[in-house]
Amino acid sequence: MTELLLQQLLNGLTQGMAYALVALGLTMIFGVLHVINFAHGEFYMLGGLTAVLVTASAGLPYVVAIALAIVLVGAVAWVVDRIAVAPVLDKRDGPSTVLLATFAVSLLIHQGVLQSWGPTPARVEGIPGAISVGSIVLGHQRLLVLVTGMALLVSIELVLRRTVIGKKIRALAQSAYAAQVVGIDTARVRRTTFIAAAALAGLTGALLSPVTLFTPAMGQHVIINAFVVVVIGGMGSATGAVVCGLALGVLEALASIYLPQEIGTAIIYALLLAALLVRPQGLFGSARA
Amino acid sequence: MNKISVLLVAAVCIALPFAFAGNAYYSGLAAYAAILALFGLSVNLTVGYLGYVSFGHAAFFGLGAYAAGLLVMKVGLNFWLALVLAPLPAAALGALVGFASARVGGAYFAIATLTTAEILRLVAANWIDLTRGPLGLIVPRPRIPALEGLGLSFHQYYLAFCLIALAVAVEIVRRLINSPVGRSWTTIRESSALAESLGMPALRQRVINIALSGALAGLAGALFVPRTLVLTPDLFSPTLSATGLLIAILGGKATLIGPLLGGLTFAILPEALRFIDEYRIAIFAVVLLLVVRLQPNGLVALLPWFRGRAKALVLQVDADASAPIRFSPADTLTASNLTRRFGGLTAVDDVSLTVKPGELVGIIGPNGAGKTTCLSLMSGFLEPSVGQVRFGETEITGREPYTAAQSGLVRTFQQTALTPHTTVYENVLSATYTSIPETFWSSLFQTSSYRERERQRSSLARACIDLVGLGARASDEAGSLPYGEQKMLSIAAALATRPRLLLLDEPAAGLNHTEANQLSSLLRRLREFGLTIAVIDHNLRMMMALCDRIVVLDRGKLLAAGSPSEVSRNPDVVKAYLGPGRKKEDARAHA
Repeated sequence: MTELLLQQLLNGLTQGMAYALVALGLTMIFGVLHVINFAHGEFYMLGGLTAVLVTASAGLPYVVAIALAIVLVGAVAWVVDRIAVAPVLDKRDGPSTVLLATFAVSLLIHQGVLQSWGPTPARVEGIPGAISVGSIVLGHQRLLVLVTGMALLVSIELVLRRTVIGKKIRALAQSAYAAQVVGIDTARVRRTTFIAAAALAGLTGALLSPVTLFTPAMGQHVIINAFVVVVIGGMGSATGAVVCGLALGVLEALASIYLPQEIGTAIIYALLLAALLVRPQGLFGSARA
Repeated sequence: MNKISVLLVAAVCIALPFAFAGNAYYSGLAAYAAILALFGLSVNLTVGYLGYVSFGHAAFFGLGAYAAGLLVMKVGLNFWLALVLAPLPAAALGALVGFASARVGGAYFAIATLTTAEILRLVAANWIDLTRGPLGLIVPRPRIPALEGLGLSFHQYYLAFCLIALAVAVEIVRRLINSPVGRSWTTIRESSALAESLGMPALRQRVINIALSGALAGLAGALFVPRTLVLTPDLFSPTLSATGLLIAILGGKATLIGPLLGGLTFAILPEALRFIDEYRIAIFAVVLLLVVRLQPNGLVALLPWFRGRAKALVLQVDADASAPIRFSPADTLTASNLTRRFGGLTAVDDVSLTVKPGELVGIIGPNGAGKTTCLSLMSGFLEPSVGQVRFGETEITGREPYTAAQSGLVRTFQQTALTPHTTVYENVLSATYTSIPETFWSSLFQTSSYRERERQRSSLARACIDLVGLGARASDEAGSLPYGEQKMLSIAAALATRPRLLLLDEPAAGLNHTEANQLSSLLRRLREFGLTIAVIDHNLRMMMALCDRIVVLDRGKLLAAGSPSEVSRNPDVVKAYLGPGRKKEDARAHA
């Protein structure tokens, strides 16, 4: 039993890393642009799709897939920003219009992949091999997810604290107006944040697809979980996104031992409503009016 | 609704079922259009009037359908009775989701509805004993023998019921949006701080709106039961939620006719476009993107007679419009030992002051002295770190901001706060919410005493507009006014709440000399009408001439208080304004 628990804990951490990274991007976009990017899950899915196409269809090494996932998803995000985010952001009802526009984009991306690829799942060959301690197995791919994820989290923290662009991003998150006053090109910082967060989601998708199998629906699944994470963690809080993302992955994995999967999912979604009722600003959010 | 419209709607409800007599396909399609329109109307309540996007309205629709189906199958109720009860659980769910998310904002509402629909879909799919899961709950067609005895076919009276339900729902929404309740939604949507300052409970009104929206969606879902006859978890699907959203947005946000157009479009188009069925969602998405980018006002904006609507609004004002306004005497406003810290900064430091009934008190101080913070503390918009505020016997500290306004203590904002896309008249009319109040139900039933009060609201609004000198601007769009007039408009709105004590935050900032003079004479007149006023401003010349008493703040502390001449001779005040080493004469010259 202990072994099963430990095994599930490891599996949960891997999945939780995906939630943490996707939710981190979501919460960064919310912090800087003050909008919800509904298409964020589809960026994750596109990362997975890139991995499938590069490795299974084109026969190239997995490393190329990871690099391409970052570049391609970043490019898609640039287009999405140009057509659905930047032009409507400062208009009347900007935030809700962006929510609608990115919702439309998410449907378009999902349907586009569904129509061209079909609903069938696909395997992605990641890094083969595994480490085993007793009966507990940690695949190399899962190890890669955990190590890369940690490295990404640390470097994002360093970028935000130490670099000029990081400081600009934090300035904008505090006050877009004040940032503009001191000469920060706010439009550019917003675009950079959006594209970087999307590329992060794409990279995460490419990392996770060998673990979870690629399906066109993977984006829809991850986005709702990421929503749960950012609401419970506190919208705009990076710490909240990471901690709650990892916790959600572990919780989901442990729950799957005792509960049918769909019931577990329903309970996790219900947690979101309960969190809103009890602590609407989130665990790591600061109280606002 | 006038008699002609009632007759017209009744005629349509009766004639349409006969027009499609014997053709189950067309009358079924018409009933489906009515259900979709009702669903779109419900989504439009939150998206259009509240500005809250919903990604899970299928939660309410599906809950209504399942509630009706289960009442019939498990309780044995007649379907048509169940139809009346089915919206209730959906309304309760709306209130719950609304309460959970509206405290933190619209983005949370979108997420909360999305997950609520998913939860219900999973429950419906897995609670096999109750719902039969994915197999579906089969509900027999609810025939009414009495009506069939009269020679009506099922399709005819089903369509008639759908049309009647839609007509009733449209009438409910029409009445509410033209009532104090609906007008408060528009104000809350624009700025909940403004709404609270005018005494509107933003959270409660949002919850009411979302609960009503849930009820209407639940009714639509229940009406859908005889059309589908098999209830499956797909009733909670994201596609259905997206359809409702698209109906509301494509048709035209915040309009009554929009959802009707949208509903009709979405009933007919998928039928007409069957050959591209697999691309349907993609086409929906493209349409949605095009609408929000190119025509945010939806199909309605394409109708020729709709365009000039805002401009053409005719004011219904009674002859006794400009009856003089009287203000009830204020209580003493007592602020004791107020301190407010923001992180390491103490913006207001142990300030005690009182405003007595009938006074006109000025609060002055250099930039950063803590004047606005002080005003926000006194009006209940900010919680003090230490200290308390009382208005007569009423405790202001620690309560919702709108309660201060409801007890007669009303503030304005430094930045002009108004609803820019409605007229001057509508802005001030919506501010009568507190002074001549209505409940949700009185706004819905609109008895003759309601109509009398509505006339009073109208003349009060008109009188307030005239009082600040905007009479000629009454039917202009508020956002189109020049800056000075917008400031006057926000004062007019504050006056329409019939305050007993008015707190003005820099009303003269940005005004030119003439406008500042007009403001001074307005404030003097208001005091003659019995209004107690506390005003913050930088225009010392105006303040010294205007106020009975001046309170000076500097770096968060109370520096001096007294008559204008006492204060201007106070050496501390001179030092605070001009720095050390200046002479008093300089201070006078500047004052």
